[in-house]
Amino acid sequence: MSALELHRLVKRYQSGGGEVVRAVDGISLQVAPGELHALYGPSGSGKTTLLALLARLIEPDSGSIHFGGRDVTRLSAADSALYRRRDVGFVFQSFHLMAGATALSNAALKLIADGHSMNGARDLAQHWIERVGLAGRAEHLPAQLSMGERQRVAIARALVNEPRLLLMDEPTGNLDSARSREILALLRDVCHERRIPGVLVTHDPQATAFVDHVHTLRDGRLRAGVEDELVAP
Amino acid sequence: MKPRGSLAYRLLGVRPGALLELYRYRLRHHVAEELLAGAGIAVGVALVFGVLLANGSLTGQAGRLVHAVIGSARLDLSARSVDGFPESLAEAAGRLPGVQVASPVLREDVAVAGPRGGRRLVQLIGVTASLTALESEATRNLGAGTLILSGGVGLPGGLASAIGTRAGRPVELISGGQIEHVDVRAVFGNQTIGPVAESPVVVALLPSAQQLTGHPGRVTEVFIRPKPGAQGMVERELRRLAAGRLDVGPADGELRLLDEAAQPVEQSTRLFAAVGLVVGVMLALNAMILTVPDRRRFVAEIRRQGFTSRQVIAILASQAALLGLASSFVGIALGYALARLLFHEVPLILTFAFPISSQQSASAMTVLAAVGCGVLAALCAQLPPALDLRSKAIDEPLRRPGEPGQSIDRATAARLGVLGVLLVLGAIAIALAAPSLTILGGILLVAAVLCLVPALIASIVAALTPIGDRLRGSMLPLALSEVRATATRSVVVVGIAAVAVYGSVAMQGARHDLIRGLDNAVVDYLDTADVWVTTSNNTLNVVPFELKAAQTKLAHTSGVAAVRAYQGALMDFDARRLWLRARSPSAPRMLEPSQMLSGELTLANRRLRAGGWSAISSALAAELHLRVGDSIRLPTPSGVERFGVAAITTNIGWTPGAITINTNDYRRLWRSASPTALEVELRPGIGPQQGRRIVARAILGQRPGLLVQTLAEREAVYKASVNQGLKSLGEISTLLLVASALAIAATISAAIWQRRAQLATLKAQGFVRRQLLRELLLESAILLVGGGLLGAVLGVLGHALASRWLQATTGFPAPFAFGGVQVLLVFGVLAGVSLVAIALPGYSAAKVSPSRTYQW
Repeated sequence: MSALELHRLVKRYQSGGGEVVRAVDGISLQVAPGELHALYGPSGSGKTTLLALLARLIEPDSGSIHFGGRDVTRLSAADSALYRRRDVGFVFQSFHLMAGATALSNAALKLIADGHSMNGARDLAQHWIERVGLAGRAEHLPAQLSMGERQRVAIARALVNEPRLLLMDEPTGNLDSARSREILALLRDVCHERRIPGVLVTHDPQATAFVDHVHTLRDGRLRAGVEDELVAP
Repeated sequence: MKPRGSLAYRLLGVRPGALLELYRYRLRHHVAEELLAGAGIAVGVALVFGVLLANGSLTGQAGRLVHAVIGSARLDLSARSVDGFPESLAEAAGRLPGVQVASPVLREDVAVAGPRGGRRLVQLIGVTASLTALESEATRNLGAGTLILSGGVGLPGGLASAIGTRAGRPVELISGGQIEHVDVRAVFGNQTIGPVAESPVVVALLPSAQQLTGHPGRVTEVFIRPKPGAQGMVERELRRLAAGRLDVGPADGELRLLDEAAQPVEQSTRLFAAVGLVVGVMLALNAMILTVPDRRRFVAEIRRQGFTSRQVIAILASQAALLGLASSFVGIALGYALARLLFHEVPLILTFAFPISSQQSASAMTVLAAVGCGVLAALCAQLPPALDLRSKAIDEPLRRPGEPGQSIDRATAARLGVLGVLLVLGAIAIALAAPSLTILGGILLVAAVLCLVPALIASIVAALTPIGDRLRGSMLPLALSEVRATATRSVVVVGIAAVAVYGSVAMQGARHDLIRGLDNAVVDYLDTADVWVTTSNNTLNVVPFELKAAQTKLAHTSGVAAVRAYQGALMDFDARRLWLRARSPSAPRMLEPSQMLSGELTLANRRLRAGGWSAISSALAAELHLRVGDSIRLPTPSGVERFGVAAITTNIGWTPGAITINTNDYRRLWRSASPTALEVELRPGIGPQQGRRIVARAILGQRPGLLVQTLAEREAVYKASVNQGLKSLGEISTLLLVASALAIAATISAAIWQRRAQLATLKAQGFVRRQLLRELLLESAILLVGGGLLGAVLGVLGHALASRWLQATTGFPAPFAFGGVQVLLVFGVLAGVSLVAIALPGYSAAKVSPSRTYQW
């Protein structure tokens, strides 16, 4: 399996007042196969931007991201879509579930893009729906699920394609402590079992017990370790 | 995960079954919005299909009828008057080298009455057995069965049931004022005579028809089938035989004439179909716009998950296609019902010159065109989320709070506004430079309406904001804020209102101008006499009758001051079936003052009385590049004759055009002294009804089939014919307005219902129900008034352009007159229906409990 390597990654934005903000300022990072890294940082520090860069949702201004033996920053739009579909499993803070589809169908959505029938996709997604603890809620619509349950559906959706890279943005933000631990353990197990790298953005203090490395992102720059004030009580 | 290799997957990128599943999920949660969108598409398709069906059938049905009769005939030798030509000439045509089949026919306009009473204007067709040799659809199954008609007539099934008769029973046949009782020998259905079964015709053997019409030994045309390769030679020989006194042309030449006569109907159909399509797209977009934020989030999410652009397009397009197809088929059914119930009447005046009826049948092309419009509407409505595919910021719609994509920036609104103004100027320029393209200008105005809407909304908001800021306790600031925040939806609602008002004002305005112009023409045309004697309610007055002795007796009857013969005919001139009118030189006037376009009236009247002069309608004059003082060569039964042009007039209500000469010239050249109408002037002191009785007593004994009408009665017939011809125009524009009003109401109501969370929040802030209801109604009123005003202003311009087109291109009398009351009425209907329909859901939504703010 592949390691994830970031080399001097930079992403700038122009704010409303015309000021240039370096959301990601020359970040270099190596995540070995099977490792799960946690990123802490205050709001606006660039964590979500970094994940978006890793998922090829936005283009960096400079730097490179190597994964699977290639520089993914050079991928075309079509190859980027393929990369997101087959290589990456991610959950972002703002996610969208189809209101008219059940939890199981939502989890299976990604597989349709790979040519699966809906029934076939649901069969494959069933395992992951159970692993996120929604076995008894698989046929419920999103409106019938709590925020935490919807989040777990999004997590199942991220895992259903058996990704080679995990990217998670506050995956336990809406979960209680017990559920949070279950999900964090699941993510760690997936990374270790499948020997895939994972990057987890979080404020959850429990996450430090489940990850292999902890970093802090502040003003677009990465430091090892975490400051107490960045960890939610 | 390896991709599956099915063909559909390789083509679309997604399996068809998965596409259906995705749409099922969508329907489960958004069934109301999809129904609303579907209803909008169905209404648009119904308008398009109903109009196309009603008017497409006009020439389509005539075409089927003509071809059903002429069969394999390629050439036609036809008379230039209703008196026809000798049968011996038809026999000579049959003996020409190269002629394989020559079938003589006698055609004359008559009336038929059955047990149900009332007269039906039909065309009597006298045929011989040779017609079956042409192997037409109408005669293929007759064979020797034509002999069954011996001594009687055959009726098509449609006509027979309309007049309440059947085979073996007698009917009244009124020809030239004479009433003949004749037996119905056969009633023919579709399986025997094809499309002729629904046409207003009566069939008889030639000798019977000659006897019934008083034209023994005469025919009016001969259908010719040349031998293979001999058509050119036969045509030359026929022209030699005709010697300039008969017309030689293609056997289906009548279709070209009908095309020309039906031009205004075709053009207005196209405009209405275009307006209907735009309204349909707007209605669909309107409903789907409510779900655009959700769709955009869906598209962003699946792109994030790795769906390619092709796959996203496949998903959006499949959903649009499914919705479009289902809605279109509902629209087709609705449109068919509309065509049958509302648009089924053929303009009466066309039936006076062509044997067409109101039978409608949808061609595959019409259905496909209508369905295509529906699917197109649905695809357009999917455009906003599809446009996100251009953006590289894939998940931006997911990261922006609130409803993404609802704002329209000022630069875009300004650019569209400029484009709108340019389109308006373009439409005016087209109308001025090329009046025949004015309908295109009308369509450009529709586009202009849509382009101007964003700038209009921005302007209204900018103008009202300072006012709202100064008012105390006003809900105006809140209403304006909501209009700004939901700019896309506001644009679509205003757009629908504007297009609907534009279409209605333009069409109704042009219709009123036309009615007014034609009413003036009718009054001027008819008020030269106190009593009119004609053969029927055929307002062209082209059916002759014999009345020699009775006419003389009438002239000497006490109470009658003068009796003048009027003669009229239809003249085929190139691609036009012209209306020829001949007035007596002793008539008070030869021309209608209100219809004069060029020339001096007194001089023109004098010239026409003298003879050798004519007045021609403007479209004909334009086509031949003629002015007053020039001359025109007219084809007459005596040969081609040159007439001076004394005046140029409107078309007097007959699209192909009208020519006016005096009765002396007519008698000399058409070799007929038979009047087609009598103008009777009464002595002073004799009232109209008394006069009618005097005239009726004098002539009905000899010609019981004639119609004697007072001036007022005759005017009423004409005005009814005018109104009938334009009725569907009024119905279509009213339908457009009501459909749009209901759609606007449904959309605003749905939007209001969706905003209950926001209303709950306002309630939690301390606003009361009355205030919220005021805000909702104010917001709706701003949109409707804005859209209505824009539509009204451009609608008046459209009205002016349409009336100009009617006058300049078709020659109709349609002087533009601004109808302020009518504009207000159109606007009032739209606003009234919409606001009433909004009031109830608005009231319900405003009752929402403030505690619900914590639930959403």
